[in-house]
Amino acid sequence: MKIIGLIITIITGAFLVYAAADFPAWADPNSPASTYLSPYFIENSMKDTSVPNFVTSLLADYRGFDTMFETTVIFTAGLVCFILLRISGGKEPETSHYRHVLTGVTVTLKKGHKIPESEDFERIDDLWTPPDLIIKTGCRLMIPFIQLFGLYVIAHGHSSPGGGFQGGVILGASIILLAISHDLRTALEKMREKVVAILCPIGVSIYAGTGALCLLLGVNFLDYSALASVLHVDPIAARSHGIFMVEIGVGIAVMTTMIWIYNNISSAGKYNQGL
Amino acid sequence: MSQQYPALLVIVPLLSAFAISIAGWVNKRLCFPIIVTALSVVVYASIGLLLTVLEKGVVIYHLGGWPPPVGIAYYVDHLNGLVLVVVASVALLNVIAAKKSIEQEFPDKAGPFYTLYILMVTGLLGIVVTGDAFNLYVLLEIAALTGYGLLAMGEERAPLSSLNYLYMGTIGACFYLLGVGYLYIVTGSLNMVDIARLLPPLYQSRAVLAAFIICMVGVWLKMAFFPLHSWLPNAYTHATSAASSLIAPLVTKVMVYVMIRLILTIFTPEFAFATLALNNIVVWLAVIAIVMGAILALAERNLKKMLTFIVVAEIGYMVGGAWLGNRAGMTGAILHIVNDALMTLCVFLVVGNIVYKVKGYAFENLQGLFRKMPFTMGAFVVGAMSIIGVPPTCGFFSKWYLIVGALQAGHYGFMAALIFSSLVSVVLFFRIFEICYYEPFSDHHGHDQPPEPMDEAPLTMVVPLLIVAVILILVGLYTGDIVNHIIKFAIPEGLV
Repeated sequence: MKIIGLIITIITGAFLVYAAADFPAWADPNSPASTYLSPYFIENSMKDTSVPNFVTSLLADYRGFDTMFETTVIFTAGLVCFILLRISGGKEPETSHYRHVLTGVTVTLKKGHKIPESEDFERIDDLWTPPDLIIKTGCRLMIPFIQLFGLYVIAHGHSSPGGGFQGGVILGASIILLAISHDLRTALEKMREKVVAILCPIGVSIYAGTGALCLLLGVNFLDYSALASVLHVDPIAARSHGIFMVEIGVGIAVMTTMIWIYNNISSAGKYNQGL
Repeated sequence: MSQQYPALLVIVPLLSAFAISIAGWVNKRLCFPIIVTALSVVVYASIGLLLTVLEKGVVIYHLGGWPPPVGIAYYVDHLNGLVLVVVASVALLNVIAAKKSIEQEFPDKAGPFYTLYILMVTGLLGIVVTGDAFNLYVLLEIAALTGYGLLAMGEERAPLSSLNYLYMGTIGACFYLLGVGYLYIVTGSLNMVDIARLLPPLYQSRAVLAAFIICMVGVWLKMAFFPLHSWLPNAYTHATSAASSLIAPLVTKVMVYVMIRLILTIFTPEFAFATLALNNIVVWLAVIAIVMGAILALAERNLKKMLTFIVVAEIGYMVGGAWLGNRAGMTGAILHIVNDALMTLCVFLVVGNIVYKVKGYAFENLQGLFRKMPFTMGAFVVGAMSIIGVPPTCGFFSKWYLIVGALQAGHYGFMAALIFSSLVSVVLFFRIFEICYYEPFSDHHGHDQPPEPMDEAPLTMVVPLLIVAVILILVGLYTGDIVNHIIKFAIPEGLV
């Protein structure tokens, strides 16, 4: 079987290489890909959309419809992870561990027993490692700056590399860092499951909703120039603002999907304890 | 509003998917009304769009207001106008029929299930309506990803079968994307009509040849064309009935549509049939697909799995018909997309009803079903007749066109395979009728047990099923109109 697979792979590879011989030369400035449409985007991005970064205008305006569905793909990925992994109403674990904060004594409780509510005890995971002061404090210091940088990346997609996808990933990573450096429980207190699960579709609906708003204002779907009448700016600037609105939606969707997938995979869908 | 139909077709289900997802966390009872409303709007828009196309010709819709090739355009002609109506109606009928079984199987995850369901419909509609080769890939990803999720939520072995499908499906999608990449390198465009305009001087280029072949192989993988079908039977069998009765009728048929779109619009029949001269090989592959599908179906002792192998054989019909390279064959293939979607829906809904009541779909579970579930089995008989190809059900007419196409092309092997598979279908279905009607056998001592009382599935499951059965006959009776008013214009003049 392995041999057959190898033969098929070699034949396919050889066929692709054979076909590639008819490609335009490497980095040929006269190739169709670089002469047909690219010059239009490079020359007219600023004129059409007042966005200096033409990657952003191409992604979120000229071909914004594709990007909307790419965001939907990300949402779908999060949803599928949830639907396949999440075990709702999971049973109470056999034993749970509590740690006395001052002395460091660990108390193990059997199922059904409870510890009186007090500040002195904290719930800990089964695979508990002693808290590392340096890691905890270091991450706590870093997280706000990571989030600030994430917001910067989202907001500056117009004029520098960045945008909703990258910024959203950075924001999501900051919460995941919290879950890794502390524990999943702490991260869930900051971003509850329901909040994540509702914010994620809201993020994508901001994108699709911006498009639908244009449709309601009487032009084609995602034609941001219609927003001019709502935002009181000229149609070119309205395109730039429209792009910014959808970038925010993308940022929210990507951030929450990252957290959603992490929560479900790291706790095997039980949400009681993570990595 | 009517000029916005192409956008509404995709936007309404997309936005409602997010609404359902949120409603699943807030108030679960809202999910079902939202999905039914959204799909009704989609059916309305698709019918409106088809009527507009019939009246005024091709509808082109510029998304974002950018004219192609700069932006993305929706391109609706008679071919995809027809397929859109089929996709929308199948999705609506199926969700109504599947409500009870979804609530039975996923009491706490109904919201996410409906979300995936309508996202999948969005993906399929988007694939069909688009006129942009890359946009098609993006929607393909959505349809595939939701499909993996829906199929994995089934029996114990469902995740494994779905994982298998994921590997194969991803390879198929990658092949398609690679093909589009090759086309982009040599033409610089992604718009289908624009690519077709730029291609003729490049027909001799090896890159275009490779693009065509890679796209075809990718699409064949996605539609489970023999011998690339290995993922399909297990994935569809182990899934829940609500998921399999959406995916089995639609996904493979939509991929056949993509293949026909590639041949007719992007590469044009002159290139696909005249320049390449691959017809004969592909039709012979289709012959093998039909024969193997029929034989493998014969070997099954399990109703649902048997039906999945019939799906594999039906793929052979459509691929073979499209590749005969003549008008009758292409007509048969397009007509069979419609008919096969409806008859697959019919038989899979029957399986859904049986599973709901009997909790099984192996042959021994089917005993005495005619007495127990007369309406369900009545619809099953209509569906089975259509798959066999008995007039006046619609299956007969598409088979007729396919056979005429095979005769015109002089391809007697394909004709023989069609007749062989029809005969095997007779055996397959009458064997089931026999079990359902006569078994369990009495013990010849006069101690017959009293017959089981009638125990039909709930009304919401039976009524959509009966509607589908009636549609099967109606489509059969109105085949002439469908062919003369719609399909005739879907095939370019050049193809005779």
